[in-house]
Amino acid sequence: MSEAKPKKRVAVKRWIVLALILIGIYAAYIGPSILKPVAPTVILPAEPIWPGVWMTNTILATLITDVLLILLAIGAYRFHKAGKLVPSGFYNAFEAIFEYLWNSVEGSSGRWARRIIPLVATIFLLIFVANMVKMVPGFESIGYLEPPHKTSIAYHPVKLFSLGSLPVYAIDPATSEMVVFDDNEAHEAEAEHSAEEEHALCELCQVIPFLRGSATDLNFTFALAVIAVVMTQVYGVWSLGPRYFNKFFQFGKLISGGVFGIIDFGVGFLELILEFAKILSFSFRLFGNIFAGVLLLSLVGALLPVVIPPGLYLFEIFFGIIQAYVFFLLATMFISMALVGHEEAHEEEVHDQEIVAA
Amino acid sequence: MNDPVAFVNGLRLLGAGLAMLGAIGAGVGVGIAASGGVQAMGRNPDAAPIIQTNMILGMAFAEAVAIYALAVALIIIFAA
Repeated sequence: MSEAKPKKRVAVKRWIVLALILIGIYAAYIGPSILKPVAPTVILPAEPIWPGVWMTNTILATLITDVLLILLAIGAYRFHKAGKLVPSGFYNAFEAIFEYLWNSVEGSSGRWARRIIPLVATIFLLIFVANMVKMVPGFESIGYLEPPHKTSIAYHPVKLFSLGSLPVYAIDPATSEMVVFDDNEAHEAEAEHSAEEEHALCELCQVIPFLRGSATDLNFTFALAVIAVVMTQVYGVWSLGPRYFNKFFQFGKLISGGVFGIIDFGVGFLELILEFAKILSFSFRLFGNIFAGVLLLSLVGALLPVVIPPGLYLFEIFFGIIQAYVFFLLATMFISMALVGHEEAHEEEVHDQEIVAA
Repeated sequence: MNDPVAFVNGLRLLGAGLAMLGAIGAGVGVGIAASGGVQAMGRNPDAAPIIQTNMILGMAFAEAVAIYALAVALIIIFAA
């Protein structure tokens, strides 16, 4: 008897999975057209969560992420207060993550780790939780209907049911039509729209989601990148004082060094440009990876809706973790590079810079 | 050719696709970094954590080129 029980449970799960796959096949290929997958509409800028509201869907997702993080922090604090030294369950995982972060920070910056870890661990946790929250179903698929703003495919809405006084619509993939926009026409149409009442239901619609992953908005990643790079300078000045800026403006070498002094001076300026390039690569790395992942998921979900997307979801989870870790690791590395003076790390760095310059 | 707007749109998408050719170099670079990292870890498994950190760092830098290409492509499609 005791052997039969777990076997039975496994079998039940197997049937559930099979049933879900069959439901997926029915919805995607056999059933009514309203259940069929919809080709994605690519929207790069974040859209407002409701027409005319300043808050965008990515800001809302970021706020949800923040709330989750604060709850996590409160939970960890209470757990700590309770006096149990050995964490269990969820907090065990949390402690494992934090220990890993702590070890990498301490490995690269030594005794400065206590001052650096609040910044970089916050960045890691924010990106990590934001990327995980993005995977919840309903993100990027539930929203309000709006006519397309540029040349793209749009669909006719179909009324499903009423939620109180609020009608709920679904878009019908069988009725797709290409909406072509001329630039001039679009401007005229926009002018008309702002003059008219906005709330009449559109004929051909796109879904503007209420929630979109935070990192699919360039503003989010760019803000994090600016914070990371500015804090790099702050830590550099904290560690070295005004001497830190000698890295960028090597006037001393210009006077004393002769021809190589001039080269060093130029290298200093290259390093200054490099600081700005860091912002660019930080922000576009995270944004590009997450945005490409979202595109991949929605495109493959529309083309092969049954078996492939779960695997891609796993892939996306993996990439969410890796990108958070890369952002964290690069910020840690740059900060710990800024902590030591230029002279100590001089030799190989200048060599590299000269190769880049040549 | 009869519809200049569609023609320009098509060329724009073609340009975005060409911009992503820059991803070739990044792919090769990431592959080399991973290969070197795995070989090093195979020879010296004790040093795996350090090698892994540096490998991911190098991969991130190599990947940056592809990210720039992606930025150019996105700008061509959505902004230009």
